[in-house]
Parts: sequence; structure tokens; C-alpha cells
Amino acid sequence: MRNMDERPVCHRAEDLVTYLYGEASEVDSRDFADHLQQCDACRVEFGIFQQVHDSILVWRNEALGSTFSPAAVVSETAVDSAQFVRHKRNLSALEALREFFSVSPLWLRAATACAALLLCVLGVLAISRTWNKPVQVANRTEESKYSKEQFDLAVKKQVDDELAQRTIRQTPPTVVEGPAPDKSTDRRFKVAVNRVQPKTQRPRGLSRQEREQLAADLRLIPRDDDELPFGLSDEPDQ
Amino acid sequence: MRPRGPDAGTNQMEMATSDEQMVERALSGDPEAFGEIVRRWERRIFALAFGMLGREEDARDATQETFLAAFRNLRGFRGEAKVSSWLHRIAVNQCITRQRRAKVRGETALEDEAEKNAAVFALPLDVSPARTAEKVERSAAVRRAVCALPGDLRQVVVMKEFEELTFQEISEALELPLSTVKSRLYTALRQLQMRLQKFGE
Repeated sequence: MRNMDERPVCHRAEDLVTYLYGEASEVDSRDFADHLQQCDACRVEFGIFQQVHDSILVWRNEALGSTFSPAAVVSETAVDSAQFVRHKRNLSALEALREFFSVSPLWLRAATACAALLLCVLGVLAISRTWNKPVQVANRTEESKYSKEQFDLAVKKQVDDELAQRTIRQTPPTVVEGPAPDKSTDRRFKVAVNRVQPKTQRPRGLSRQEREQLAADLRLIPRDDDELPFGLSDEPDQ
Repeated sequence: MRPRGPDAGTNQMEMATSDEQMVERALSGDPEAFGEIVRRWERRIFALAFGMLGREEDARDATQETFLAAFRNLRGFRGEAKVSSWLHRIAVNQCITRQRRAKVRGETALEDEAEKNAAVFALPLDVSPARTAEKVERSAAVRRAVCALPGDLRQVVVMKEFEELTFQEISEALELPLSTVKSRLYTALRQLQMRLQKFGE
């Protein structure tokens, strides 16, 4: 750096610092930039002042941290102030709404009231529809569902009926007809499980061939009791 | 160098209005209002104090004393000036008082050495000792140069470099013509350059 006493001084010293700190207007900046090209004193001084400014910034950032910036604090505070103002506006929203309606014409008030009424009716309808839907679904599900006990009971009854019929006929059937429709029993349970036939209730034992035939006629369902089908057909296959 | 937009002054205006409302609320007995003023301005006042005093500990004490004095003299704030200018004046007075006391006690030379040592230990270990020493020396020289400036010049430098105020804001805060603020800064920069040149030789 040169000694300041040796340097010539330009009359535009104030413009120099304004330009140095970026506060000159666009026109003044352009003007002073042109001046810098022509004036040696200002050009030299501008370079030196920039170095001084940088040195002060280095010291400041070392001491206070590189992220420190009072300008950032100002903008942060300005945002806070804006939020504070906005909050105040939010608090008086109801008041603003009242004010709006007080100055609005009659037709606008009536239209707003009608719209609000319509919205309420639609809302009630929507709520009632969504309220009823699950009930209907639940009824249908209940209709088609049977407990395991009910199913076992029905099967047992069907097998008993079948055996009783054969006992009455006293003839070993070669082909067993499908069970007669019993109004007391749900027709959907025209199936039987061979292995669940109660042996103690049979008046006489069936031969192996008879058992197989009976099973075939009754269209045995899978042995796994947990996977019993529901909603069986009314007409048994032959 | 970061150019400052014209809206910086607008933000200041908006903030000043809010600050005045806060002072009114504090005067009417709202305990939160003064805390809000402190929160808004403590960093800027700390930056000012640090620039004026050159030491972090002193700057912290001066900041604390500034807000304490402001709270005690809250009724003295008549709303004629901005809250920022009012706080700024209190802070500058606090800093000048502290400097006088330190000069009387002859603390400067001793604390300079202690601070230099602390700065060396605070720097990262991967920086070479020669580079570390150079950086510390350079920063210490800048600090000494700023602190050696006459009070009126130092004040303008600190407000510009530490508080990052515009010339217009400085002019309003110090109640000086704009041209005076610019000429003071120009003179201060020339004096700083001369002092730092001595360090470079």
C-alpha cells in the first residue's frame, strides 16, 4: 500500500465511498465507473479501500463468526413483524367478515344465505348416506354367514334323515336319491361329510360300497371343515 | 461488496413502527414487550459494541448494560427518534464509558496479549503455525487500527462495517448530514489504510 500522503486526492471522494459500498444509483454507478477509468487517484484509492474493507470483514467474521450478519437479523425481525401483523389480521377475521356483509348489497346477502343453506342440506345428505351404507353391507354379510355349529348340525340332520329313509325302505340302495327337500332345514346345506356320520345312531352298518355311493351322491365337500363353502347351490348334481 | 437494495430502508421503517408500539406496550406494563425489543436488537447492539470495544467480553457487558439503561430510562423515550437510534446512542455512551475506565486502569496492553493467545488457540489445528500467527496478527492490527480511530470516525466505521447500515440510516441515527457521514467514512478509511500500512512494513 502506498502512503496516503503521497496520493493525490480527487474531489469525488464522497462518490467513491458511495460506489464502494454499493449504494450509488444505477446511473451514478455507471458514471463513477467511467470516472474510475480516467482518474488514477480514485482508481488507486478504490483498490486500497477495498483491501481495508476486506480486512475489517475478516476480523469481524473471525470474531463474531462468518455467519454473523446484522442485516440478516434485520430481515428476520422484519419477517417477524410481518407475521405479527398477519397474526393480528387473523384475529380480526370474523370482524372483517361482518364488515364485508354489512357493506354488501341485499342480493349478495340473500345469495350467500341460500348457498349456505344448500351446502348444509348437501352435507346432511352426504352424512346420512355414508351412515346407512355400512348397515346394509353388514346385513348382507350376516345373511350369507353361518357358524360352524349351525353347519355341523345341518349336516348331521341331513345324514340322519338319509339313514332313516334307508332303514324304512329296508333295502340296500344301489343309487341313493338326493335328499328330499326339508322345509325345516336350509336347502343350502344339502351336503354331508362322510367322516362326521355318527356311527352310533345307525340302525345297521353300511357296507363300504354303500358309504362310497352315499358320499358320491351327497357330493362330499372338502374334508377341511374350516374351509366350508357358503351359498351352495339348491339343486344337487347327479 | 454487497449492494444494498432500496427496500432496506422500508424494512427499517416498518420495524421502527413496531418498535415504538413495543415501547408503548412496555410502558403500559406488558412484561413481554421489552423482551421483544431486546430480542430484536441485541445482535446489532452487540456488533456495535464489539466494533467499538474490540473484545467479545466487553461487548457482551456493554450490550447488557445498554439494555439495562434503556429499561431504566424507558419513560425518557418520547418517540421523537427511532428506537434503534435511541438504543444506538445508549450503546455508544456505554462503550465510551467502558473505554475511559479501561484507560484509567491501564488494562489495554495486558488484555491485548491475553486475547492474542486466546485467538491462537481458537483457530483450527490444520492451519500452519506461521499462517495462524499471521492471521491473528493481522486481525489484531485491524482491531487496534479501528480502536485507535477518533470516536466520531470509529462510530461511522462500526455502523457501516459491523451494523451494515446504509449511509442514510447512519445519517438519521447520528442526526448528521449525509455528506458529513460519507466524508467521515472516507477520512476513516484513509487513516485505517495508513495504520495498516505500518503493520505491513
